[in-house]
Parts: sequence; structure tokens; C-alpha cells
Amino acid sequence: MKKYLYIYKATLVENLNYITNILLGFINFFVMMFVFLNLWEYIYSDNTQVINGYTMQQMIWYVLITEVLWFGSRNKILTQEISQDIKTGNIAYNINKPYNYVLYIVSKHLGEITIKLIMFIMVGIIIGVSFVGPIQNFNIMNVPFILLTVIFGVIINSILRIAISIISFWIEDSTPFHWVYDKMILVIGTLFPIEMFPEFIRPIIKCTPIFVVTYGPAKLIIDFSMKSFMNIFIAQILYLVISISIVSILYNKGVKKLNVNGG
Amino acid sequence: MLMEVKNQIKVMFLSLKYNIMRQMTNKVTFITNIVFMILNNASFIIQWIILFSLKNEIGGYTIKEVILLWGMAASVFGLSRILFNKAFELSELIINGKLDTFLVQPKNVFLSVISSETKISAIGDLIYGYICLLLYGITIKNVILFTFFTAIGAVILTSFVSIMGSLSFWIVKGDIIADSLSNIMINFATYPGNIFKGIVKILLYTIIPVGVSNYMTVDIILNFNLVNFFYIVIFAIVILLLAFYIFNRGLKRYSSSNLMNSRI
Repeated sequence: MKKYLYIYKATLVENLNYITNILLGFINFFVMMFVFLNLWEYIYSDNTQVINGYTMQQMIWYVLITEVLWFGSRNKILTQEISQDIKTGNIAYNINKPYNYVLYIVSKHLGEITIKLIMFIMVGIIIGVSFVGPIQNFNIMNVPFILLTVIFGVIINSILRIAISIISFWIEDSTPFHWVYDKMILVIGTLFPIEMFPEFIRPIIKCTPIFVVTYGPAKLIIDFSMKSFMNIFIAQILYLVISISIVSILYNKGVKKLNVNGG
Repeated sequence: MLMEVKNQIKVMFLSLKYNIMRQMTNKVTFITNIVFMILNNASFIIQWIILFSLKNEIGGYTIKEVILLWGMAASVFGLSRILFNKAFELSELIINGKLDTFLVQPKNVFLSVISSETKISAIGDLIYGYICLLLYGITIKNVILFTFFTAIGAVILTSFVSIMGSLSFWIVKGDIIADSLSNIMINFATYPGNIFKGIVKILLYTIIPVGVSNYMTVDIILNFNLVNFFYIVIFAIVILLLAFYIFNRGLKRYSSSNLMNSRI
């Protein structure tokens, strides 16, 4: 475990040199948030209107939090580097090193996103407070529980993305599968809380990664209850176990299939 | 002059043909890229169904007009990426000194660079655009206007991203700025223009011309307006000339990195 912690720390320190790049990346985030602010302001006729249990303030905070999680944890390592390693055969140099390739990728990814995610959270808070004011009834005592679900959400998202990238062992390019996952999280998971969907779809959405990656943490931030926390946390543990199993099976099968020409 | 333009267009289409043929060597990847891009775009229909269940109209549009707007955005983006994908990566080429191979060719450098790659998934975007048109309602007038504005929109989008990319001749972190500004254009393209107000609306019709390439073109398909029609065409010509001018001005500042690469 020590070596993975070292990889995490080394990547984290390396990324401190690229703060300017992260700051410039905020342009996109600001624009998306601006579009959503305008959209929801148009949909809510006035500030007091409640749609499916959400006030405009809660709705904007919900979108803000999910977008922060989305933008803050995006990383090309998971979507492109693994596929490239497999496609180019570079993975041959990684799998014979004294570490597990998947854990190496996870450590490197977490090292890369830590600073970015913290910065996005800070900027998200500033945007939220200045545009719609602080979250009503937010209790600072709930932060440790919320933080736990945020961290678990980020890890589950990373593992699911690795599972998708590993498909490259079978078909050369896994990017189209990432699009589908991206859109599922983006369209269903970040723009609307589950309550906005028709009742018959809600149980299905609760079984998808959306519930544990974006909806869960965001819901706890805007409307915390111990019951919701327990539901979300148990679902996250289940998801974690299932996703790790899927990655292990796919990776072990894929590596056996690997055929690299020397060069 | 005319022969030169004709030659250049011929080279451009030859480049497109070979780009596609190269990508077709792996048929599974080729087809999955196109099919999944269509599915990827189609997923946004869910977003709009939910939004329209909350409010009957958004920015004066019903779901039918939004589908047309989406179709226009997808086909403009698709055509631009099919013909001129490298315009979206111009910054990277400039920063890493990868323009050398194009400088020695006896053709226009700008056109040779931007047409040197095709994004295969963009074929899916273009097909999706026409599927949206089919859903909106297909008539001869709609097909002609839609196709014409797809081409015009692609010229505007390509010129805009090329200008942003060319900034890297002068700005060190130009690639991130170019990427962000190009994404702005794409992000705004799929939302009705009327939800934006004030200074932002002015920006969307001038500096970030998504208003001209998407909102105005869709409005013309909905309600034909000759003045706006000519405004769009003139705007496209002006921004295209500006893209050539800025790239050529910047090219004088270009310095090679002596990177050895070849075009296969």
C-alpha cells in the first residue's frame, strides 16, 4: 500500500506546478454554470416556486454541486491513457513492474484530481453563495458524513471508468462507451435530481451509478438526513464491491488476451 | 486564381477521402464511433423531455424547435469536424512546432493544416442532425435551408476555432484558452438563445458567434427572413477571411521545434 501512497503523493506534488492550467479550466465550468443559471431562472417563474420539492435555490445548488463533482474529477488518465496504453502496447511495460497496474492508475488519478477537486469545491461555494445565497438549513456537523459520500462517489466513478477503458483489450477504442457513461451521468445525474423524473423511472435510476456518484452526495449537501445518508452509503459500499469485482475480472481476462508485438 | 481555388478544394476532398479510408481499416471502431455518437447525442432528448414537463416553452421554443436547434448544432459541429478537424487542434500544432510538414507543401498552409484530419465520430453528428430534421418535419425548403446553413455554420465554427487556435502564435497558454472558448461556442449552441439576456446575448451574436451560426439559422428555417439570411452569409465570409488573415499573420512568428514527423 505504501508504494501506491507514494505514487499518489508524487502525482499530487507534480500537479501543484500546473495550478494555472486548472485555473484556466474554470472558464468552461463558469460557462456551463452560467447556462444552467439562466435555464433554471427561466423555468422558475419566481424564487418562491417549488418544483417537485425543490426551490430554485436548492435546484441551482444541486446542479452546482454535481457539476463541481463532475468537472473536479474528470481526468484523461481514466478515459484516454489506459486505452492508449492498451492500444499502443505500452501496457506491456507497466504490467511487469512491481505494482498492480489498476491500483497504479487509481493512485495516479487521485493524485491528479485532489488539488483540482478542492479548487472546484471552493469556486463552487463562491459561485453558489454569490448567486443564490448559502444553502438553507446546512449544518456544519454533517460535513464528515457528506465528505465520506463525496470521496466514495469519486472512487466509484474512477473504478467504473477504468472498467470501461479496459474494454480496449477487446475492441480497440473504448471512447464511445465513455460517451454513453458521460451522457448518463451528465444528462440524468447532474442536471436534475431523481425527483424530477416520472415516478416509475425513479427506482431504475436509483440502481444506476448516478445515485452513488452524483445524486447521493449532492442530495445530502442540500437536504441532509441520517436516513438518506445510510441509504446512500450502503448503496456506495455495494457499488464499490461490485465495480472492483468487475474491474478485476475484466483486467485479468484482458491481460491474458494481450498480444504485443516487440519493438 | 479560380484554378488555384479549384485545385485547393480538390486536394481538400482528396485529403478527406484518404482520412476516411485510413480510419476504415478498423471497421468495428469506425462503426461504433458513428453509432455511439448518434446515441450519445440522442441522450439529450431526455433532458429536454424533463425540462418541457416542467414548463411548456423554454425561450419561446417548444420541443419541436429544440430538436431542430439540436439538429443544427450537431450537423454544424459534425461537418466542421469531418472536413476541418485539425482546426480544433491548431494550438497544439503551433505550440509543439508541428506545422513544418505543412510549410513545405505547395498548397495553402492554413487549409492544408485544418483539413489534414477527419474525426470519424463527427459523421455520427452529421447523421444525427438530419435525423433531427426528419423529426422536426422534412420538406424540400427545410432540407435546402438546413443543408445550406449547416455548411455556413461549419464555416463560422471552423473560422472561430481557427482564430482561437491561432492565438497560440502570440499567447503561451493559448491551447487552454482556445479549448475553453471553442467549448463555449458548442455549449451555448444547444440552448435557446432567448434564455440569455443583456451583454451575454450581444456577445453570442458577435465575439462568440453561436447566435449567428445556430440561433439565427434556426430562426430563418422557422420564419424566413431575407435580411438575416444575407447577414449570416456576409458574417461567414468576413469571419473566414479574418481566420485566414490571423493565421497568416501568426505564421510569420512561428518557429519550428525541429520535430521530425511525417504525414502518412
